Amino acid sequence: MSNLLEVRDLKVDFLLDGRAFRVVDGVGLDIREGESVILAGESGSGKTITSLCFTKILPRGARIADGRITFNGIDLLGLDADALIGIRGKDIAYIFQEPVSYLNPVFSIGDQIAEAVILHQKKTKREAFALAKELLMQVGINDPQRVLFDYPHQLSGGMNQRAFIAMALASNPRLLIADEPTTSLDVTTEAMILDLLMRLKDKNKFSLLFITHNLSIAKRIAERVYIMHKGRIVESGDTKEIFDSPRHAHTKELIRAYEKIGRI
Amino acid sequence: MKNKFLLIGLGMAAFFILVAVFAPFISPYDPTAIDQDELLAPPSRSHLFGTDSLGRDLLSRIIYGSRVSLSIGFVAVIIATCFGLFVGSCAGFYSGLLDSIVMRFVDIMLCFPTFFLILAVVAVFEPSIFNIMLVIGLTGWMGTARLIRAEILSLKDREFIQAARAIGASNARIITRHLIPNAIGPVLVNATLGIASAILLESGLSFLGLGVQPPTPSWGNILIESKSTLGVAWWITVFPGLAILVTILSFNFLSEGLKKKFG
Repeated sequence: MSNLLEVRDLKVDFLLDGRAFRVVDGVGLDIREGESVILAGESGSGKTITSLCFTKILPRGARIADGRITFNGIDLLGLDADALIGIRGKDIAYIFQEPVSYLNPVFSIGDQIAEAVILHQKKTKREAFALAKELLMQVGINDPQRVLFDYPHQLSGGMNQRAFIAMALASNPRLLIADEPTTSLDVTTEAMILDLLMRLKDKNKFSLLFITHNLSIAKRIAERVYIMHKGRIVESGDTKEIFDSPRHAHTKELIRAYEKIGRI
Repeated sequence: MKNKFLLIGLGMAAFFILVAVFAPFISPYDPTAIDQDELLAPPSRSHLFGTDSLGRDLLSRIIYGSRVSLSIGFVAVIIATCFGLFVGSCAGFYSGLLDSIVMRFVDIMLCFPTFFLILAVVAVFEPSIFNIMLVIGLTGWMGTARLIRAEILSLKDREFIQAARAIGASNARIITRHLIPNAIGPVLVNATLGIASAILLESGLSFLGLGVQPPTPSWGNILIESKSTLGVAWWITVFPGLAILVTILSFNFLSEGLKKKFG
C-alpha cells in the first residue's frame, strides 16, 4: 500500500505578542490508503494543530514555519487558496469534538449537508437534499426525513455527530480526520459512533486519522499508533507493539492511565 | 406568543403599508384635485380630515403622502443596510489594515452632522425622491457597519465557522452563508429603527422645502403649507403630524419587539 499522506518535519508556531511559540516541532507521519491510524497524546500536545495543517485551516495566530505535506503526490503546502478550497471536504474531510458547536445553529441539518454536497458536486438543491437523506440513512439515522429539517439544538449529541459525519462524507473523501469525535459523548454513544466509523471506512474505503487522548480506542480501531507529546512524535508503531512494549515514558503513562480507568 | 410590542408594531406597520399600497383604491379624492368651493374646509362627512388652502382633500393627500414617506423610509434603509452589511462584514472578517482604514472612515462619517450633510447634498443636486432615498441611505449605513463588524468579530472564531472552512467553503460563502445569517438579528432591529428615522428625516427635509417637491404630497410638505394657516385650520397641522407620529411609533414598537425576539 502506498502512502496517501506524508508529513515531514512539520513545524508550527503560534504568534503571541510578537513572539513565536513552537507548538508542533518536527512532526512526521504517514497514512496509507485505507488505513486507520491513531494520533494520541494529552491535551495541548499539538495533535489538532497538526491535523489542521493538512488543509491549512489553522486558527488565527498559527503559522506553518517549516515542513512538507504531500497528499496523493500533491504538495499541499504549496497550493494556493482556491486549490485548497477544492481539497477541503472533497479529498480531506474533518469531524470534530462537540458536534453541536461545529454545526451552524441557524440552518437545518439538511441545509448543512446539502451545502457540503453542492460545494463539490454539480447538483441541484433538490438532488443535494435527496443525497443528504441517503447519507443520513447511511450514518444510522432512522427517520432521516424528520432530521433533515431539524436544527442542531433539537438533536442529541450523538445524533448531531452522526449528522456531522454524514456532512463530512458527502463528497466521499479519501482521508477522514476525526478529531476526538467521541470525547463529548457518553460511553454507549461513543461505542456506536466508533462502530459506525469503522463500518463506513470499510464501505467507502477512506483512510482514517483518529485523534484522541484515550488510548483505549486505539485497540478497538487502529492499525498503527502515533504518540505525540509536547509538539513531537515520541513513539510510533503497530498498535499491538505499542501496547505490548511501550518504550517512551509518556506512552507508558497513557497506557497506565487507561488501565487504571479500566479497573474501576 | 407573549411579545406584545412585536404584535402591535407589526399590526400598525402592516396597516400603513397596506394603506400606501392600496392608496388609489381607498383615497376618497384625487390628492391633487382642487375644489374652489371647499377652501380650508374643516373636517366633515365629505372631507374626513378637512381640506387645505387650495381645497385639496387632506385625507387623500395623507394617504398618497404615505406612499412617498414609506417608500423613502424603506428604500433608504435597504440601501443603508446593504452597504453597511458589506462594509462591516468585510472589515470584521478580514480585520487588520483593511479593518482599521474602514472603521476610521466610519468614524469620520459619524462626525458629520447627517442632517446638514444631506441639506448640502440636496442643495447641490435636485431634490428628487430618488436622490433623497440615496442620500439618506448613504449617510445612514455606519451604525449597521459597526454592528455587523462587532458580531462578525465575535462569530468568526466559532467552531461552526471552522467547520465551514473544513468542508471547503470560500471566504465569500462563509461571510454570506454562515456569518451574516447568524448576525442578522441586531441588524434587523437597527434597520426597523432606521425606517422610522428615515421617515422623520424625509419629513424634516420636505418641511424645509428641500425634500419632496409639491405637488407630490409627502407628510413633510403637507406640514409646510400648514405653517401659514395654523391659526385658522388646525387640521392641516394635526393630521399629517399624527400620521408621522403613529408611523414612527409603530416602527419603534416593531424594533422593540424584534429586539426581544432576538434576545
